Amino acid sequence: MIFERNCLWGSLAAALLAPLLFPNQYALHIGVLIMFSVMLATSFNLIIGYVGEFPLGHTAFLGVGAYTAALFSSRLAMPFHVAVLAAPLVAALFGLVIGAITLRLRGPFFVIVTLCFAEVLRLIANNWIDLTNGPMGISGIEKPVWATAGDALQQKMAYYYVGVLLASLSLFVAYRFVYSNIGRAAIAVRENRFVAQSIGISPFYLGLVTFVLAAGIAGLAGGFYANYVSFVGPEVFGFSFMISMIIMVLAGGKGTLVGPVVGAVIVVLLEEYLRDFKELRFSIFGLIVMAVVLFLPRGIMGFIARRHESYPRGATGDA
Amino acid sequence: MDLFLQLLANGLVIGTFYALSALGLTLVFGLMRVVNFAHGELYVVGGLLGWSLTDLVGLNFFLTLAVVIFSLAVGGYLIDRLLMARVRGQGEEPTILLTIGLSIFLTNTALLIVGTAPERVVSPFANKPLFFGPVVITQSRLVLVAISAALILAVHLLIQRTTLGRSMRATFQDSMAAQLSGIRTAQVYGFTFALGAALAGAAGMLLGSIYVAQATIGDVVSLKAFVVVILGGMGSFAGAIVGGLILGISEAFWGGYMSSGYVDAIGFGLVIAMLLVRPYGLFGKHAERA
Repeated sequence: MIFERNCLWGSLAAALLAPLLFPNQYALHIGVLIMFSVMLATSFNLIIGYVGEFPLGHTAFLGVGAYTAALFSSRLAMPFHVAVLAAPLVAALFGLVIGAITLRLRGPFFVIVTLCFAEVLRLIANNWIDLTNGPMGISGIEKPVWATAGDALQQKMAYYYVGVLLASLSLFVAYRFVYSNIGRAAIAVRENRFVAQSIGISPFYLGLVTFVLAAGIAGLAGGFYANYVSFVGPEVFGFSFMISMIIMVLAGGKGTLVGPVVGAVIVVLLEEYLRDFKELRFSIFGLIVMAVVLFLPRGIMGFIARRHESYPRGATGDA
Repeated sequence: MDLFLQLLANGLVIGTFYALSALGLTLVFGLMRVVNFAHGELYVVGGLLGWSLTDLVGLNFFLTLAVVIFSLAVGGYLIDRLLMARVRGQGEEPTILLTIGLSIFLTNTALLIVGTAPERVVSPFANKPLFFGPVVITQSRLVLVAISAALILAVHLLIQRTTLGRSMRATFQDSMAAQLSGIRTAQVYGFTFALGAALAGAAGMLLGSIYVAQATIGDVVSLKAFVVVILGGMGSFAGAIVGGLILGISEAFWGGYMSSGYVDAIGFGLVIAMLLVRPYGLFGKHAERA
């Protein structure tokens, strides 16, 4: 717990200082993507790491958040903060409904049925042209004042720091949740469902609370993303975001809060680095995914945590 | 009424094709409980291999089908022994991730080699329309329906009547007990995956002679196959046929009478409803939740 907290504080410090080291637009753009990915990965990790189920349709909430923010600012002309606050709320509402239906199922059935919900939402986004503008998407989402002031570098810088703020907020909420009684109960359910039930924990209720929270965080990420790229199309529900989310969390280490952060940084940087390989990059990416599963089954943080735990407790002074 | 009959016929034909394309997944997901997201990509590989051998090389259709089945069986066996065997018994997450990685790799490697253009397997069956009263079906589709039915029956007999089939069922019910009674379970897993891959490839090639073989359709095929398997019930072949037919007919009627925009959403809606009402599908036998 203390090790994890220190790691998170360290990441925050690094995130705050990073623009001083790389003060250029490209690096800041990558930084914004990393912050977006940290939110997404944290959200996904809450379900896969703490509920222990695999929501393959988690992009549903990313998409709902993104569309909510886009519709609020383009149709209702709401300012940035209202739109970005509405996004997690609406996404959490969707989380409540979808979670109440899907959490009755487990294992492969849960996996497929969540995916079905994401696909249905994608098809609605594609076909309900009056609301969502169909495959053309919603473009020209108005940017807030702070993002249009100054030169291009300052605008990117502003987005970056808003991203850092939202990502730390998400991680703070996740941290407080995981180390609360509810979070501990969720871990008990994940470790042994029947023992947890026998001491009066309701797996369904816990799963639902976690699901709603995760949906909200994914919605926040979606709202931020919609405003940053100022365009939302049906592909926010698509499988490619899902794949990056899964890889970030599993490569970083599920069930730890630092893991998804590490995973997000690595996956975003790797995707950028692989651009040099042009068309070959997706094939290489697929191979890397398989290699991670085979050779790093507990993720990078799982690996480090095991090394860390293997030190004698008294000697390092932290327990 | 004529429209109704025509839609029903279309639905039955497409439904049989859905059942055929989901047949491999019925084995791998339904029996083996491996959530195989590379199923659609194996289908695509079968289709593209069939196209390149019939169209580019000029090989006979049935010879090509044999080559496709054989090479995908070998490929599937290797995938199981080299990849799946390493994560067996660790729950579904590693397998899902592994098959997703495999599907990304296969799709994009196929894109690199053949590009995005839709290709067609050269078919020996005439495309001429046959009239049954008010209903029109092309000859090639009718032949394919017959071939699909034969394949489904053959796999059903393999699972129910042969020693290999019996050891498969034993292994997936209780692999420890199967091992204790002398079944080489590692081999059985390998053979089942090989059979699943071969069926996916055969479906890809057969349907590639009517529709198209294209590198990018793998995801859609996988999703529809999952829908069919869940609708019909895990590991049940009668279920796979019924699941396919339900999907085909409801899509045909929805497309014919309602809007064509939401046709693809039907299957997902059906699955959501099905899992709420009967989590084990129409023909599933188990009572507990997996």
